[in-house]
Amino acid sequence: MPLSGPQAPIDCGKDGISTPMNLSLWSLKAGDRCEILGYDQVLPENYRTRMMEFGFHPGETVACVQSVAFGAPKVYRVSNTIFSLDEEVADHIHVRLIDTDA
Amino acid sequence: MPKTILIGSPNSGKSLLFNRLTGLHHKVANFPGITVDVGIGKMRALPEMDLVDFPGTYSLQAISAEEKVAVEHFQRALQDPDVEQVLCLIDATRLEKSLYFTLQVIRDCERHSKPVTVLANLIDVLDNHDLSLDVAELGAALHTSVLPISARTGKGIEAVVERVKAVREQALQPPRAHLIDAPDVLLRGTAHQLSRRFGPKGDVLVRTQTRLDSFFLHSVTGGFAFFAIMYLLFQSIFTWSAPAMDAVETALAAMAQVVVPLMSNHVARDFTSDALFGGIGAFLVFVPQIFVLTFIIGLLEDSGYMARAALICHKPLRLFGLTGKSFIPMLSGVACAIPGIYAARAIDSPRKRLLTYMAIPLMPCSARLPVYTLLIAAFIPSGTAFGGLLGWQGLAMFCIYFFGMFCGLLVTGLISRTSKDHYTDLPFVLELPPYRIPGLGPLLRNAWNRSKHFVTKAGKIIFAVTVVIWVLGYFPNQGTDLGTSWLGYLGRIVEPLFAPLGLDWRYAVAILTSFLAREVFVGTLGTIFGIESADENMTPLVEQIQSSDLALGSGLALLVFFAIALQCVSTVAILSKESGSGTLALKMFVGYLFLAYGAALAIYHLAAIFT
Repeated sequence: MPLSGPQAPIDCGKDGISTPMNLSLWSLKAGDRCEILGYDQVLPENYRTRMMEFGFHPGETVACVQSVAFGAPKVYRVSNTIFSLDEEVADHIHVRLIDTDA
Repeated sequence: MPKTILIGSPNSGKSLLFNRLTGLHHKVANFPGITVDVGIGKMRALPEMDLVDFPGTYSLQAISAEEKVAVEHFQRALQDPDVEQVLCLIDATRLEKSLYFTLQVIRDCERHSKPVTVLANLIDVLDNHDLSLDVAELGAALHTSVLPISARTGKGIEAVVERVKAVREQALQPPRAHLIDAPDVLLRGTAHQLSRRFGPKGDVLVRTQTRLDSFFLHSVTGGFAFFAIMYLLFQSIFTWSAPAMDAVETALAAMAQVVVPLMSNHVARDFTSDALFGGIGAFLVFVPQIFVLTFIIGLLEDSGYMARAALICHKPLRLFGLTGKSFIPMLSGVACAIPGIYAARAIDSPRKRLLTYMAIPLMPCSARLPVYTLLIAAFIPSGTAFGGLLGWQGLAMFCIYFFGMFCGLLVTGLISRTSKDHYTDLPFVLELPPYRIPGLGPLLRNAWNRSKHFVTKAGKIIFAVTVVIWVLGYFPNQGTDLGTSWLGYLGRIVEPLFAPLGLDWRYAVAILTSFLAREVFVGTLGTIFGIESADENMTPLVEQIQSSDLALGSGLALLVFFAIALQCVSTVAILSKESGSGTLALKMFVGYLFLAYGAALAIYHLAAIFT
């Protein structure tokens, strides 16, 4: 099988994309679905790499499953895996909102 | 001896498969990163073959020091001529998470001409949801055999054994090298495409999990569930294990009554009675508590709730440089630091685990309770305020308990803020495993193994220290007077160190012996003051201390000293074993000793101002 697919992490600076739909993953509410646009340069390379190993690829659809009270880490579904991410990471992942339950 | 390597990403069921193939009993839990050691066992169906279970990592591109060790260990194993083949376990329900790692493994094995067989685990879960995985097509895409298996039900295990035999007997070489020069970024893209092509579609596999999470992680119901479960955990530590602890104590006392009179030599008799049954017995009493606590923690891990508890606690603990995963080890530390240190194994971040190790000894463990009870009874008035609603002694106990917890959080908070290597650590990305019904057998086996580990590993060090303290306290006067023993002399030598706290040699000796175990402080003081069984009935000892004109400041200084100092040889021994660093254990012992002394001195002088 030929090797293909996304070749490198897409880095977009915090101000790199200025559409109104440009949000951070952390800003999603339970029931929201989004598409990952890229990662903030502030997030270290090793963090970005690990996130992509978990399936948080640019272009991937992620659903916010649960938004726990008092700023606790939020719960996200990517493919068939549920992850919990805290603000330190999720706030540096840029997303585009696809649809929302709210 | 020929070897087969078993490798896979965390929580893919690797330990369970290892147990099936070898008949051994590795720790199995529904919590990512549970394999922390390299396990080796002979394959049951192929006794001439060693199966080597490697720690689970998410990729061969390590981002923490600990992952680096695991990856380097794997790379070295690939150079070992005895390693004939590699079994790479993937989670068939979550291909995205597994395939990048699998492609890396295949590439590195191609570089060392080691055949790889991919085992697609949890195939029973796909069957239950009428889903399937096209293993033939996936195998074609990966250029290697893919076998569908269920480590839980045993489905496909025979095929795995046959495959290992076939590779061994036919000396199968890996197919043409198609990934040998592929960079990681290309493998990541390929894994992403393959998981989209072969992985289960939609969210059918996580619907039940999501429904349960909406209860257990809900702001209201989740909070109630959390406190209820933690209450049960506390009950297990303090109430459920108490009868077993009492039974061990009674059994040891009965054994002592039978064995000790058989000794004709009085030195041997005293040694057996005091050092063996008294000293070693004091630590064996904790075994039931460790068993019960390990069982309950295993239950939480296997059911999938542990990851949810970590999530709930993460935010407040993050303020102090810790992680949500630190909560259970710290809570366990309230009973005894040792099971707490064991529980810290589940923390995947080495930095957070280290900070958790630092916090655990400051949790108010049950061994501190008799010391607190004695000192509070001796120095705090028994009166009440607000019409009997508030008792001063109860308030003092509450304050000293929370003082320990506060110190633990303060220490970790300060260290985490002054240390600069923040981003070399793992991010808080917690995979929430599916809820599962735990199996009783593995839970009991694990609790038994952990208790055995405690006895065998810590026992040697505890025995050595017990013998040293006993010899110092027994000679040269054959145990007739602790005051004129070598320990008594030692107490007088170190007396000047404790004099600034207003304490004389008697308290110095009691503090020295309490390094064996904190509660020994009470018994030693009782012996020095000439009171029998002071640890069972404290009232005469309390009266003696009160009549000895010891200042209130000295009593408070002792309370603070005991809240901070790491006076427990068992804890130091287990800390050294679990962290793999005797230096760390020693540094913590010395560091907390200085901190305890400094804080005690400050309290003593502060009290002198107000009294």
